[in-house]
Amino acid sequence: MSDRQLADWRQHALTLETEVNKVVVGQASPIRLITTAIFARGHVLLEGDVGVGKTTLLRAFTRGIGGGYQRIEGTIDLMPNDLVYHTYLGEDGKPHVSAGPLLMSGENLSVFFFNEINRARPQVHSLLLRVMAERTLSAFNKEHVFPHMIVFADRNQVEREETFEIPSAARDRFMMEIPIVVPNDDTIMSSLMFDTRFHNADALIDTVKPDVLKFDDLNGFSSVIQKSVTASPTLEKYALNLWKATRQPTEYGVKVTNVDMSRLVLAGASPRGMSMMLRAARVNAWLNERTAITPEDIHAVFHATVAHRIVFSPVYEMRRTEIAREMLSNIVNAVAAP
Amino acid sequence: MKKLMRNLLLMTTLSLSTFAAYALDVTKLPDVKDGIVSIQTQDPVKDVGYVVGDVVTRHITLTIKKPYVLIEESLPIVGYEKTYRGQPIGVYLSALSHTKKDEGDQVVHQLTLDYQIFTSSVVAKRAAVLAEYVRLLNTESKDREVVKYRVPMWEFVISPLSVFGQIKIEDDMSQFRGPLLMDTSNQEKRLKTSLVLLVLSLLGLLYIVGKNAWLPRMGGPFAKAYRTIKKQTNTPQGNMSESLRVAVSSMHAALNTSAGHSLFADNLDEFLAKKPAFTAIKSEIQQFFGLSNQVFFEANAKHNVGAEPVAWLKQFCRRCRDCERGLLPDTLSTKNKA
Repeated sequence: MSDRQLADWRQHALTLETEVNKVVVGQASPIRLITTAIFARGHVLLEGDVGVGKTTLLRAFTRGIGGGYQRIEGTIDLMPNDLVYHTYLGEDGKPHVSAGPLLMSGENLSVFFFNEINRARPQVHSLLLRVMAERTLSAFNKEHVFPHMIVFADRNQVEREETFEIPSAARDRFMMEIPIVVPNDDTIMSSLMFDTRFHNADALIDTVKPDVLKFDDLNGFSSVIQKSVTASPTLEKYALNLWKATRQPTEYGVKVTNVDMSRLVLAGASPRGMSMMLRAARVNAWLNERTAITPEDIHAVFHATVAHRIVFSPVYEMRRTEIAREMLSNIVNAVAAP
Repeated sequence: MKKLMRNLLLMTTLSLSTFAAYALDVTKLPDVKDGIVSIQTQDPVKDVGYVVGDVVTRHITLTIKKPYVLIEESLPIVGYEKTYRGQPIGVYLSALSHTKKDEGDQVVHQLTLDYQIFTSSVVAKRAAVLAEYVRLLNTESKDREVVKYRVPMWEFVISPLSVFGQIKIEDDMSQFRGPLLMDTSNQEKRLKTSLVLLVLSLLGLLYIVGKNAWLPRMGGPFAKAYRTIKKQTNTPQGNMSESLRVAVSSMHAALNTSAGHSLFADNLDEFLAKKPAFTAIKSEIQQFFGLSNQVFFEANAKHNVGAEPVAWLKQFCRRCRDCERGLLPDTLSTKNKA
């Protein structure tokens, strides 16, 4: 693919960002990260409070990239088969089986949004993990493939009753964990309250330009990005040091306030995690019109791709978000490049 | 006849003079009444360890109230050897000085008596400067009353000149011998040498603690980087020579040290907020990161530092050093070069 095509795709990506930024205001950073994840073909875990616009954000993206959008709510009684099919008695009085959210869009499934994933049971997590990792599902004696699917899951970190913490192996399947927070800009907050166009989410999403990208071309183009954006030996060494620092932060002099660093980290970032970080960094470089990764590209995706993969001692799990944020910031400050 | 008379007169005179002599025997005179004479004696502090030839000096102050006056002829006679129970004691009065001062109703006599010892012994023996008697005349008495006053004795101990028999000098702990002095010249030399070494070591330590600088701010990170960059040869733009890599690495290290963390283009504002002195060269720092990207990460990246990046780096580093030292850098010249 020529440089011109790369530039064309970049223009499409930036147009998509602009479109989404129009309907979801004050979330430029999460929108850039989701754009990155879409082109890096990675699943995303959204973390945020209720009503901050997570669903609107995903629906806006889905409209922009095209393809099928499915959504399911995580509940304590949700079972794996609820994702695959559901049964009902038809008008003819006979039992019928219809496709569940995963199968409903078939191969055209583009975005699968799992709302409040931590309310679902571990059995549901297991099924979803397989779908995320292999993008296939065995059902009705048939192998269903979802080559274009990206899973967006959301978890509410505030409420913990009747929830099942997502195990580290499950978290590791997500390329990114992106925090969605309420914007603290008074103008934006006021706009969200008083601007009537934000009151009707469906109408709002309809304003997004549809099919800015072709969802079924994304896989192929993603490979092109990964091949065309290079990493220098200095960058490789830098990334390696960052990885080591997530595993042995004390060796790099990394400290976190009120935390015994010798007991904090049970497991650092995984090889899959670091691989995903580099995929995302390449996309970020491409979005910034670069042909090689720079440290700034890694920084742009470092928190989102690494924070949720680090396994902390149970005593520190309750403070995971703040500790991970501080620890990763200090790692970036501690590791030099070159 | 005439001769007989002369002899008789002579005998009578001699007989009377003997009586007179008896009448003047001081020990037989009455003691002076209390309250007439007061005395202060100042004897040697050391009362042991005297040997033959030593001089013992006593200072005596006699205050005699009028109408009594001191008969100065009764003062001890220089050269007179004291006896005790008829035996000479070997202590001679070798010198006497006498001054007096009339204070109206009383006269103060200052006596300094030097007694020289002319005796010795193989063992320590007691000796004394025996009591002296002085005579006082009551000038208002009709019968020319003469009384005596006793100056108290002072005892001391005479020591032998040497110890008889074979002795081990190291075991002789006599305090009068004084310490046996060793030859300390070698130790003194060593001490002086050690002191010189200690001073040099402290200076070295000061140099090390001062981060290889003798003066404050002399060994700052940019000063060190400047010394490194100065040694590098000029490299035309695009030629990724080792000298350019070394120069850029040195500059990175200096910036990191100055910032206290790894400095990148994306946390430059944080650095400038912490060290506003560098704000004046913000654009040059951004130029430097552009150059660094080309050298280490993206070979075809563009920067605008000019055709001689090492020369530019040298200038840039000097400006950083000026900022570090609190001086105002001349930013224009660098920009012009760029």
